[in-house]
Parts: sequence; C-alpha cells; structure tokens
Amino acid sequence: MRRTGVLFGVIGVFAAALALALPAAHGRETADPGITRTSILIGGTTPLSGVASAYASVARGAEAYFKYVNARGGVNGRKITYKYLDDQYNASITVQQTRQLVQQDQVFAIFNSLGTEHNLAIRDYLNSIRVPQIFAATGARTFGADFRKYPWTIGYQPSYTGETAIYGRWIQKNKKNARIAILYQNDDYGKELINGLRKGLGPMSSRIVMTQGYEVTATDIQSQIARLKTSGANTFMIFATPRYSIQSFIYANRLGWKPQIFVNSVASASNLMEIASDAGNNRRVKGTMSIQFLKDPTDSTRWAGDAGMKLYRQVMKKYLPRGNANDVFHVYSMASAFSFVEALRKAGKNPTRSGVMAALAKLDSKKNPFLIPGVTVKTGRADRFPIEQVQLTRWTVNRKGDGRWVRFGPLQRMPS
Amino acid sequence: MAELLQQVVIGLSSGAIYALLALALVLIHRATGVVNFAQGEMAMFSAYVAWQLVQWGSPYWVAFGGTLVLSFAGGLLLQRVVMRPVENAPVLTIVIVTLGLLLVFNGLATWLWSGEVRTFPPNRPFPTRTFDIGGVVINVQDLGIIAVTVLLVAGLWAFFRFTKAGLALRAAALYPESSRLVGIRVGWMLGVGWGLAAALGAVSGMFTAAAFPPLEPTMMQAVLIYAFAAAVFGGIDSPLGAVVGGLTLGVFLNLVGTYADDLQDLGFPVDLEGLRLPVAFVFILVLLVARPQGLFGRASARRV
Repeated sequence: MRRTGVLFGVIGVFAAALALALPAAHGRETADPGITRTSILIGGTTPLSGVASAYASVARGAEAYFKYVNARGGVNGRKITYKYLDDQYNASITVQQTRQLVQQDQVFAIFNSLGTEHNLAIRDYLNSIRVPQIFAATGARTFGADFRKYPWTIGYQPSYTGETAIYGRWIQKNKKNARIAILYQNDDYGKELINGLRKGLGPMSSRIVMTQGYEVTATDIQSQIARLKTSGANTFMIFATPRYSIQSFIYANRLGWKPQIFVNSVASASNLMEIASDAGNNRRVKGTMSIQFLKDPTDSTRWAGDAGMKLYRQVMKKYLPRGNANDVFHVYSMASAFSFVEALRKAGKNPTRSGVMAALAKLDSKKNPFLIPGVTVKTGRADRFPIEQVQLTRWTVNRKGDGRWVRFGPLQRMPS
Repeated sequence: MAELLQQVVIGLSSGAIYALLALALVLIHRATGVVNFAQGEMAMFSAYVAWQLVQWGSPYWVAFGGTLVLSFAGGLLLQRVVMRPVENAPVLTIVIVTLGLLLVFNGLATWLWSGEVRTFPPNRPFPTRTFDIGGVVINVQDLGIIAVTVLLVAGLWAFFRFTKAGLALRAAALYPESSRLVGIRVGWMLGVGWGLAAALGAVSGMFTAAAFPPLEPTMMQAVLIYAFAAAVFGGIDSPLGAVVGGLTLGVFLNLVGTYADDLQDLGFPVDLEGLRLPVAFVFILVLLVARPQGLFGRASARRV
C-alpha cells in the first residue's frame, strides 16, 4: 500500500512538472490544449470489456450524437472528437488512461468517464492541473456537492442519495406498515443508497429490518436473498448493479418471497427488467418501482410521435447501426452529449477550459430532447447537480405478459 | 433450523456449479498434466455457442448436444494447434499460454456477442419449479444440476478405471515415453484430454448460465476461482475429490456469509460477510498445510 502511494506520488510530481512545462514549450499560454479553430478534442474512459461492459453504450451513444452534430457543421465551426478508452471498470487503469489522454493526446477536457470509484480516482489529478472533468457518469453525491473543493469537476445524473430519499418519502406517505429489507453492493455506492433511504424515511428509518451486502466477486446472491426473506420484510430494496439485481428478482421468485420491490435506477433499464421477468415466468417483477428521468426507448407507444425519440432513433440508425436502440444507456449518453454541446455553445466563440466550466455552472435548459418532458438541466452558483428532477415509475405488465415502465405522480425535485 | 437447512441447500446448489468446473480442471490435469486457467472462459464461450444455437432456432437439448460436440472438437483443436508447440516447455510457459487463452476467449466472446447481458436458456435444462419441505425451498433445477454432476463423476471414474482409452489417457500424461513404446499415440491422447475437458466445461458453462443468471462474458471468472479451490481441496487429480470439494466449499462459504453477523454479535472481531473469498483461501491453506495432497489425493512418495 505504502509503496504504491510513493510510486503514485512520484508519477504525480513528474506529471505535474510535465503539465507545467508543456504549455511553455509549445508557446501556447493563451489557448488551451485540445482546441483549434476547426476542432475540439475531448476524452474519457468507459468499460468496453470486463465486468461492467454493459455500460459501453454510455460512451458509444455520446460518440454517435457528436458525429451527428459534426455532420451538421459542429459547434461554432468546430468538429468534436471524443476519444474514449477501455478501462475495464478498473480504477487503476482509469488513472493511467486519463493521464495518457491529458498528457499525450492533450484533450481539452475529460468527458463522461464512468464509475464512482473511477471518477474519484482521477478527480484530484484533474483538479490539480485544471483540466475539466465534465459530466462524470456516476450518481455519487460528492461530484455535485463538493464543487468548492473541486471546481473543475461536475456530474450529470440525479444523485444516489436523492433517488433513494424519494423512495423513502414515498414509503413514509403511502406504506405506513412497511418493513424494509435491503440488498446492497458493499462499497461507497451501495452505502450512499442506504443513507439516502434513511434520509427519506426520516422517523420510519427503524423500519429497515435487515440489510445484506454482497461483494462484486460473488458468483451469486442466493444466500443473501434467503436471509432477507426470513426477516419477514414486505418491502425489498435492490441497491445493486445489473447482474445482481437480475439475480435478486429471480431468486426472490424461486424462494416464494413476495415483497414490494424497489430497484435503483442504475439497474432498472427495461431490457434488464425483461431478462429478470424470465419471459413472463417471473411474476415478482410486476409492480416493481424505480425512478426515471430519461425517455425509455422500449416504450414505443408513449413516444410514438415524439420528436426527441425520433431524433434518437435517427442518430442510432445512422451513426451506431450495430448498437441496440432499446438500450436506455444510449439515451443517457446522448442526453449528456446534448448538454455538453449546449455548454460549449454558451462558452462563446473561442471557449477556454475555464470558460466552459463557467458555462457549466449556469446551465438552464428545458430543451434536452432525451429527458422526460419537464426535466430542466439547471445549475447555479451553489448548485452543481444538472439533473434533479425525476418521476416515480412502476413496472406494469399487460395481458400478453409484456412489461414496461409506467411513470406516475408528479415530477419531483429531489433533495440534494 | 429451517433457515440453516435452507442455507445448506443453497450452498449445495452453488457448490455443484463450482464442482462441475472443478471436474473439468481435474480432467485436464489428469489427462495432460496441465493446469488450465482458460477453463472458465472456455466454458463461458461454450455457453454462448449454445445460446447462439438456441437463438438460431434449435431446441434446447439439441443445442446442448451440439455444443458438447463443438466444444470437444474445439478443445482438441486447441491442444493440437496452440498447446502442442509448448508441450515440452517449462510449466511456467504453459501457464502463461493458458492465461493468454483466458484473455483471448474473453475478448472473442465480447467481440462476437458484445458485453450485453442475456437470458439463457429461454427453455431451460430443468423446470424452474420449486417445492417446499417444512419451510425449506428446494429447486428442481438445482436437484437436476447436482444429479448431472454426480453422474458425470461416476462416468469419469469408470472411464479412467475400466476403459482402455481412459487408461491410455492416464498413461500418456504420466509416462509419455513408455506410452509411446507400447503404441499409444500420446499426442492424440493429449488432444482427446483437452476435448473432453472442454466438453465437460461446456456443461458447466451452460448450467452456470441457468443457475447464476444472466449470461455475460465475465460470468465464469469468479466461478473459476472457487472451482480451483474446490479442485485443490479435493486433491487436484481426483474427480470425486473435486465434487466433494465443490459441495463442501459451497456450503461452508454460504454459512460463513450467512452467520457473519451472528459471529460478530458473539464477539468475533471481524465482519466476515464481505470476506468470503479470502476465507475460502484461508480454509484451503489450512487444509493444504495439514494434508498437502488434498482430501482425496494420493501422497507422492519418492525413494531416496
């Protein structure tokens, strides 16, 4: 541990020296790296292989959207190049690749890098050399809350704390007899979800009757589910990544446990819910609750005539024909890319790194076509949470056994 | 009591999955003397082949059989093309080659089928029905998997014990020179050993996808670690040992995880819940110190 610390320290000093030396060597004190009159280069990391390769679409969708923007002339005449590298969901690789993007490729900014620990691992570095870390693809609250310490960092999606606080508030109001069991990933992400839930439950926090953690090295979580079932809970919170949330539904069904289920939004994509439904055999999935802030591409009836979804399908067809257009992560990444383009426009004809950060701190747009109507992408002097409105949603199954998310209740502002 | 029994049942069902892959590891070690780190990824690849066959419209059991045949052929080919050049190389070289294969199969599967999670099989090997005995839920599918595992062990044992081919396989692995002298085609025997292990791995891959859904390129990685532990625990050369090792490990780990909280309440200083994997290895380490040849292995003696 100590030895790696020293090693990273040495690399860090070396990198900092290099970063300081480079602009002088190139004689570019005024303009930032990565931007010319006709182009802007941004970079990021995403797992394209390994345990979390399902999130590859979070990079590919954004890339497709930038290609679409470029084909229509780019932003103020600049074409956007988005170079993303495969970090295999391994934070030490994220660090190494981010340095490569900054030092060798000379990117203007790091954009849309994925994962909580992965973004944490590069935050100090990027802030120390004043390279923007834009729209970190994680719901960890710290990326919005700690902007005073990390002015070069901003997240995008609703925070995990806010999400589960909404579940807590709903239970407080609508399910007074709740006895709650929680399955959580045993790391910062899982624990933040539990904290948010406690916040939302308020005095009802004592109704959490059992929590069971799992490690990402687990092959299966049958024993945790069996344990949670014995707690006699009537409400089950799945705070897990896709693989384990699918298993939760399947094992709960096999064990004959019938609670009201809530599933966190990182694992609630329709295609995952369909897998958990096991071709209609698994009735436990019906009635599950979650939140939504993106338009769901599988809900074709709801968005049949919607201009935003038409654009989405058109971009997918033209620039990402091999991608699965029903994968909601593509919608997420196009929303993020759309907001980035908006910020870049706002930063003026000749954007600098600090100019873009300033623009990101005063976003106010209702125009994002990939978000559900009414969601405003808004930031301010003391608010670095771009998306803070969500709607509750329920997995509804029709007579033929086909399920889909149906939103209900008002658009809610989440506690930040 | 019902809860304890339920956790034992669940442990057995996980253990059977570890045991199946451990069997493939034992088979290949016994037939070729190689520890194959790519076994898990080969099994995952086979499961994808089966998924693809089902996707193309083949009924489940046809896809199952087809995958066994294809995997056997693939394993044989792999030995002939990739392993043969390094047959006489030091153990370390062989280990590195199998590690390379691990990466190749993982990359190939991700490239061919993407990292997207899938359901498999849509029509499964065994019914998903469950029955309830005094509060303990038992899964027909788990029973089926355990039954197949036991059958395979019996089959393997009989194969190595009573058939000429089995004997030839063992001889080729242990005494290649002498085997050649008595007319055994050692090269092909090694190939057949790989083929059989690949086919056995395919069974493990297809069952893992059903028991630990969903199907995805990384699904065998953790299983491989437990399977190794099970194989070593049982004595790396014993099929029976692999199965006993797998089932014991499954139950033991499950109980450790389940009662970690209670242990802590009783004053145990650490929370073991998140430490299943390390606990598994401490368990193995202790066993190996006490009994280096594993539970069912034969002690190797050397005259000095």
